[in-house]
Amino acid sequence: MKAFRTMLKTELKLSIRGMDMIIFAIVFPIVMVILLGIIYGTKPAYDGADYTFLEQSFGAISTIAICAGGVMGLPLLISDYRHKKILKRFKVTPSSPILILAVHLVIYTIYSVVSLISVYILVKIFFHSDFNGSIFGFVGSYVLVILSMFSIGMLVGGVAPDAKTASIIASILYFPMLMFSGATLPYEVMPDTLQKVTDFLPLTQGVKLLKATSLGLSIDNIVIPVVSMSVLAILCISISIKCFRWE
Amino acid sequence: METTIKVENLSKSYGSFLAVSDLNISVERGEVFGLLGANGAGKSTSIECILGTKKADSGTVSILGMNPVTERKKLYEQVGVQFQESNYPDKITVSELCMETQSLYKTFTDYKELLKQFHLMEKEKSMVSELSGGQKQRLFIVLALIPNPEVVFLDELTTGLDVEARRVVWRSLDELKRKGLTIFLTSHYMDEVEVLCDRIGILRKGKMVFYGTVQEAIQSSNCTKLEDAYLYYTDQEGLNYESI
Repeated sequence: MKAFRTMLKTELKLSIRGMDMIIFAIVFPIVMVILLGIIYGTKPAYDGADYTFLEQSFGAISTIAICAGGVMGLPLLISDYRHKKILKRFKVTPSSPILILAVHLVIYTIYSVVSLISVYILVKIFFHSDFNGSIFGFVGSYVLVILSMFSIGMLVGGVAPDAKTASIIASILYFPMLMFSGATLPYEVMPDTLQKVTDFLPLTQGVKLLKATSLGLSIDNIVIPVVSMSVLAILCISISIKCFRWE
Repeated sequence: METTIKVENLSKSYGSFLAVSDLNISVERGEVFGLLGANGAGKSTSIECILGTKKADSGTVSILGMNPVTERKKLYEQVGVQFQESNYPDKITVSELCMETQSLYKTFTDYKELLKQFHLMEKEKSMVSELSGGQKQRLFIVLALIPNPEVVFLDELTTGLDVEARRVVWRSLDELKRKGLTIFLTSHYMDEVEVLCDRIGILRKGKMVFYGTVQEAIQSSNCTKLEDAYLYYTDQEGLNYESI
């Protein structure tokens, strides 16, 4: 436990010094809220809707940090630490490289939660939006999104042969997911065909769940998002456990 | 004398390439053992198989009477390791790296004492990446010593250092030797081996072609200097180096 605490403190400091996650996971979602807030204000999501456009976007924006940490941060970090033989170094100590991976999973979770809270405070105070959904449902969905996104990151970081490949795969996954899953560009403004395509992105399913639970809507088909994300998480976790390259 | 590191009949191949063949090493407590050989002769593979970070195809290894694979956690409370390439995260400071390392062990020496001893105290708040080559290597010795080990493994500790920096590192190792620490090192520099090592092993194409003291190496090869003896043993083409 002492090792975990010391590592967490130091690695968190290093991560903050690196600035990438501060920009992509904390600042970026805040900028998105401010932009959408300025554009849409307290306008309803559509004519006759009993929730605002911004309230509708809250669930989506809260996934930006998860996506940045899981799909971009984790693969880059794992491949970097493997390349620098930091993971291997742990094998000649009484500890294990799993410790440092666990520490970074916690760090990316911290970023996600900090982002969620700051986005919530912002929409609540400055744009007078309310959370009318089910907190339980929302938190559950949020955890599921974290699980599935982080498992993708573990898989990419764990099996990519080098840092360069990891960064290419991460970019291929990250940017389309960020743009088209509804996390930034609202799903509702996309044309029908695009919506059908983006439904295949795992994050799109997560965003749908978060939207429904944060707005308190009944979801037509809760089975598809829950099952698809759980299956994805289980699949990625088992493959990365089996195929993880420590060096 | 008590045997600290015992390697018996260790072999390891990568596909059809035999990297290490039938290696036997025995290092007594308080001894400094140097494993020598050209690049690609199998030094790093040997060290990794001994440490258990690579799986040997056959043979047995025991360090402090323990198996480095099955008793890893217990063994590495008492063994310090410095790998060939530096391994630390970007943007980490000297004290942060020391604290992270210290947190992994149940018992440890206060890293500040070690930094003082290795003249690095004034660098405590500096980024590791900003240290000079010699300072970095001294820091890596400090990291290997944090668990207060009985045995340390140092892989090419002085490669890439200038003469002066190497001398500083030697002095530190000499001090450790006098304190009774068992040291297993690899090196390319024969002057350094001559000063530090009680016994050496010379690897050529994965095979141990010489095993004994520095004096024995010089005598058995009819040379006057260790460097010539080393070339005699590692000479792959059968060329006569004396003519150079």
